Amino acid sequence: MKLELRLVEDFGATLVDGYDAARYRHGRIEPFVDMAESIVLDFTSVRTANSSFINALIAGLVEQHGERLLQKMTFKGCNPVIQVLVEAAIDLGLQKSDERVRA
Amino acid sequence: MEIILPERLKGAGVLPFLSQLRDPQPGEEVILDFGRLRRITPVGLVTIAATVMRWRCENRRVHFRNLERCAVTSYLQRMDLLRVSGYKWEEAFERRDSKGRFVPVRLLDHHVDGMSQDVAACLAPGGEDYDHPMSGLYDLASYVLTETANNVRQHSGGIGYVAAQATRAEGMVRLALADNGMGILQTFRDAGFPWAKDVDDPEAIRKALEPRVSCKAGEPNEGVGLTLVSGLARLTQAWLMIVSGTGVLRIKPESDPVLSELPDGGHYQGTLVAMTFPEREAHDFARLLHNAKVESGLLRKHRAPIRFEP
Repeated sequence: MKLELRLVEDFGATLVDGYDAARYRHGRIEPFVDMAESIVLDFTSVRTANSSFINALIAGLVEQHGERLLQKMTFKGCNPVIQVLVEAAIDLGLQKSDERVRA
Repeated sequence: MEIILPERLKGAGVLPFLSQLRDPQPGEEVILDFGRLRRITPVGLVTIAATVMRWRCENRRVHFRNLERCAVTSYLQRMDLLRVSGYKWEEAFERRDSKGRFVPVRLLDHHVDGMSQDVAACLAPGGEDYDHPMSGLYDLASYVLTETANNVRQHSGGIGYVAAQATRAEGMVRLALADNGMGILQTFRDAGFPWAKDVDDPEAIRKALEPRVSCKAGEPNEGVGLTLVSGLARLTQAWLMIVSGTGVLRIKPESDPVLSELPDGGHYQGTLVAMTFPEREAHDFARLLHNAKVESGLLRKHRAPIRFEP
């Protein structure tokens, strides 16, 4: 199964609210992580986003499932700003995952 | 209680004014005297808007005095300060499109995405297109606005306002947001952070700038919004001021952040964030954001492999 989510269709071109992102992650991504062979987050036509949204969407996923999740994830259609936000969210998720292991 | 507005309400010049806004006696009327006012920027406008709204919510009568003698009454009208404060005053001018010049005082409601798009497009016309020369300014304005407005809406428990101005001749952009909520320190205390009971307002502001200090298990908020806003301010040679309760934090270009208290034992009920930055520093926002994340430890050099596709 391939899970492909076009964010512009669900949120429009501006992604800003971390609570919206967290709800989306819990409802639309988390339940399918184990059964999906690939997960594509498609940011095509998304113009702007902030750290609150991207962290809530991605950092928690990476924290929960670890670096192995990245082997099945693809980030599509990111402009350079969103690419930075995605990289930082993944790094934050990995840092939190490491902290959990150490705790 | 009568408050005479000073000649200039801009930059750090608002601090003595904020101290004057201390709580009136229960039921006491408030008179704001505009007669001496000659210059006001967004930071002064949003402060007045948020405070007047707080007084009105307390069922206090608020009067604006000497607007007919004020040198900038038409500017106050163009910036919608009188309208959002519920004050009617006949306009003796024709309104024109404010695009590229200023964003009138606007209530921060739950449509943070729409607000940020509108304000960013007004400050950086054309920047909606990522390849446009104004896109860096559009992105910077949008980022700062959405992160600070989210704080107002999700944590302050109060009502907030935003205003902005771009002065093309100077090449400077001014953004300001103010709310009349519980302030940063009380937000931390309500969230149950144990250290919050032992700190004061200036220290609470400093804590809010540390990455992930306000991050709480089970909450989507990672506590990096103000961290990155202050990092972006430093990288763009901006002037940033945050006021909350008795605390004041100021970041000036090429200087370390300075924490202080409001003068004369003042206390601002709510939080005020004001930023002035040179437009030319905003042209490559992706690089700025990357550097701000690296400097605050939110993006390490050694990274996991990530698959990006066009």
